[in-house]
Amino acid sequence: MRVKAKLYPKEAARLLQEKPSVRASVTGATLHFERNRLRAYGEIDAEAWRERARRIKDHVLTHLDHYLELAEKRLRENGVQVHWAEGPEEAHRLLREVVARHGVKRAVKAKSMLTEELGVNPLLESLGVEVYETDLGEYLIQLLGEPPSHIVGPAIHLSLPEIQRLFHDRFGTPLDAAPEALAQVARGVLREAFLTAELGISGANFLVAETGTLAVMENEGNIRLSTSLPRVHVAFVGIEKLLPRFQDLALFLPLTARAATGQRLATFVSLIQGSAQPGEEGPEEVHVVLVDHGRTALLADPEAWEVLRCVRCGACLNACPVYRQTGGHPYGYVYSGPIGAVLDPGLLGLEEAHPLPHASTLCGACQEACPVKIPIPKLLLAWRHRAVEQGLAPTWEKGAMRAFAQVMGSPALYRLFSKALRGLPLPQALQDHLPLLRAWTEGRGPLKPSPRPFHELWREIKEETHGG
Amino acid sequence: MEVRARILARIRKALKERPKALLPEHPHLRLGEEPLDLFLRRLAENGAEGHLLNQEGAVGLLKELAHGLPGVAYGKGVPTSFRLFPELPPEAAPLGVSWALFAVAETCTLALSSEDGRKAQLLPPTHLVLVERERVYSTLLEAFSEQKALPSALGLHSGPSKSADIGQVMVKGVHGPGRLVVAVLT
Amino acid sequence: MRVALFITCLADQFYAEAGVAAVRLLRALGVEVDFPEGQTCCGQPAFNAGHWGEARALARRTIDIFQDAEYVVLPSGSCTSMVKNHYPELLPGNREALALSGKTYELSQFLVQVLGVEKLGEGLKGRRVAYHHGCHALRELGVKEEPLLLLQNAGAELLPWEAAEECCGFGGLFSVKLPEVSLAMASRKVATLPQAEVLTSTDAGCLLHLAGRLGRLGRPLRVAPLATLLWEAYAGQS
Repeated sequence: MRVKAKLYPKEAARLLQEKPSVRASVTGATLHFERNRLRAYGEIDAEAWRERARRIKDHVLTHLDHYLELAEKRLRENGVQVHWAEGPEEAHRLLREVVARHGVKRAVKAKSMLTEELGVNPLLESLGVEVYETDLGEYLIQLLGEPPSHIVGPAIHLSLPEIQRLFHDRFGTPLDAAPEALAQVARGVLREAFLTAELGISGANFLVAETGTLAVMENEGNIRLSTSLPRVHVAFVGIEKLLPRFQDLALFLPLTARAATGQRLATFVSLIQGSAQPGEEGPEEVHVVLVDHGRTALLADPEAWEVLRCVRCGACLNACPVYRQTGGHPYGYVYSGPIGAVLDPGLLGLEEAHPLPHASTLCGACQEACPVKIPIPKLLLAWRHRAVEQGLAPTWEKGAMRAFAQVMGSPALYRLFSKALRGLPLPQALQDHLPLLRAWTEGRGPLKPSPRPFHELWREIKEETHGG
Repeated sequence: MEVRARILARIRKALKERPKALLPEHPHLRLGEEPLDLFLRRLAENGAEGHLLNQEGAVGLLKELAHGLPGVAYGKGVPTSFRLFPELPPEAAPLGVSWALFAVAETCTLALSSEDGRKAQLLPPTHLVLVERERVYSTLLEAFSEQKALPSALGLHSGPSKSADIGQVMVKGVHGPGRLVVAVLT
Repeated sequence: MRVALFITCLADQFYAEAGVAAVRLLRALGVEVDFPEGQTCCGQPAFNAGHWGEARALARRTIDIFQDAEYVVLPSGSCTSMVKNHYPELLPGNREALALSGKTYELSQFLVQVLGVEKLGEGLKGRRVAYHHGCHALRELGVKEEPLLLLQNAGAELLPWEAAEECCGFGGLFSVKLPEVSLAMASRKVATLPQAEVLTSTDAGCLLHLAGRLGRLGRPLRVAPLATLLWEAYAGQS
């Protein structure tokens, strides 16, 4: 995927200007998800569940080498072929090999953010393989040639009329076709793909070390089909996705579902131990690719390693009032919203992603939603601080901060500033050259300081007695 | 093995100074409601249909569902007493019948083993699942703790296939069965 | 009991009357109020933007200025959280920072938790009030019930507002670094605002931003800091 995280501020502004319907669609969908999450958290001892989940993830991450080796061993015992990948290079090599060996002409894909990171679709297409995204939302954006705008609901930025238009142009359905009718059209196209594809590709929500179980969650049935019908199943799994014990799924599957959509469990969960036994339906060959792609670097980070607890539920996106205005596209990478803002600088390097940690008011709603208690605001601050340390802050900001600290560091200067503020309005020509002031006044009108600041009023009320 | 060794070496280096976190145990939860009642109630909440039936009643339910259909796709574990209709390949069958390994009340989940098959669980638009009453667990934890051997794939189904990806409107039966009917056998 | 008032720079400049209200209210409740005159800004803008060197310098001088106070009270949730939560993180091992943290309170928090006051008077009888939960008051300080209790017990009608706990989009520098997003967030707050007589909150920044947006969108509405309304609760509307 092309990384455009550096352009976040411009892209966010442009989207709000040019496509106001996105804001409406995303706000509606995320508020709906958020209400469902709150109801679902309210039904359980959410604090206890989240705390336990956090501790289990921390245990896995602080014993990651052990659990990876155990998982690999169990997977091999289950007849699964295990591969390791630093990133796209190894992943692509394996796919080339599988495509050639099995004469793959068609692949069905279950939604996976990691395969977005690895550029799996463009690679397969370059090999002449027809790739079908089979999650309905993912299929929509594949038809449009867009990246996903949300971890769980990749097409939440699209309005019904836009989708009706897309299907009309593509499949000749009426412009006012009901969602049910559109879904049936997609079902027909994709059913054919499921039945004829030689290769199924998925990610995984969890990989259980003890049993070598891949756990994949969904609501449509497309993941069960993608991992059941084709001859070969390749699963891409980030190395942080491990859980120690099969029992841990009894916490993580429902907790993730509650956080993501407010469900008690995803409608379908595939728990995959390996290829089909003789006489069984299912893939003859199962491959698991354990992918690093920046994760070990994050693990080494004394602060940011905590983001590796992330289960990709999207709850922080739904809770985030900043994300709600634009959806995920302006963030310019696979992961958007609050988790993207703390994960992407780790995966891409701060140089590539330094505007993202500023895509937040530090309101803290994300942290309250997070099922594994990632301290997102703290990490946003840490990345901002590092960006300053690395000289990535814009020059105007550095100057402004120095001046700010100077004024606030001296009561005398502060009082002068206070007087100057009341000398406003500044001449228009000068205001035009103060981009910060203009950024404020354009949408909010001129600044209106109190006639006299409190520190002056204090002198008058200092000796005042009760009663005012 | 070079990539593997590199990744593991980086992990070990990263963790060298990091304090190790302990692995907590899972407390068993009490639901405060009969598992069976809860199971049936939550199935309805999830848009599925649940029935508590004896053998005869379950056969009656199957007859009702299969009425007028050219045939049925069966899971391997479905007892012969239910195989009353011509067997069709799952690709062509309007009804699939499965035999569940177990069910879970907490999440109104049916666990379907790959030993029973896969296509009959997924391809027909209507799915009838049979599960024995004594196989209904209270919680996922209880159910998962008791599984000794796992099949090559275990499918957990907790309702009909659905999606809200088109304009946030909930649509059923997108890829998997849009109708899920459950018979708990007494 | 003696309280040192930390007015905070935004309230000092933009809501000076709220400072006067806070002083009168505290005095009326039998508290002596000091105003250490060297005070300026807590340093939060620099801290939030990642300029921790500048933030530390301002934290240190603020700690010095309030060193001898028995209690420090701020008419702002955000600046209170800066002093209470972030000073100790910014200056690890600094005992004075911890000491200051322990005696610092947002105004309504101080009234309810320290003074044990739950009713100030009936000066808000029948007033229709929309309360915006400032994010840092709400999520970093856990100040949620205190302001509502004080307003309600003074007779105010607190209007349900679906976006009451959502961020208004101010966010300090955020409001000018990402102005379009910030304004879109304010527009959502304004669009869901109930038919109130007055909009209030603990935080001057949020109010400045929302008042500006209301003005731009042509919705005239009185916007007043919580301190001002609490004084009115006690003394009636002047």
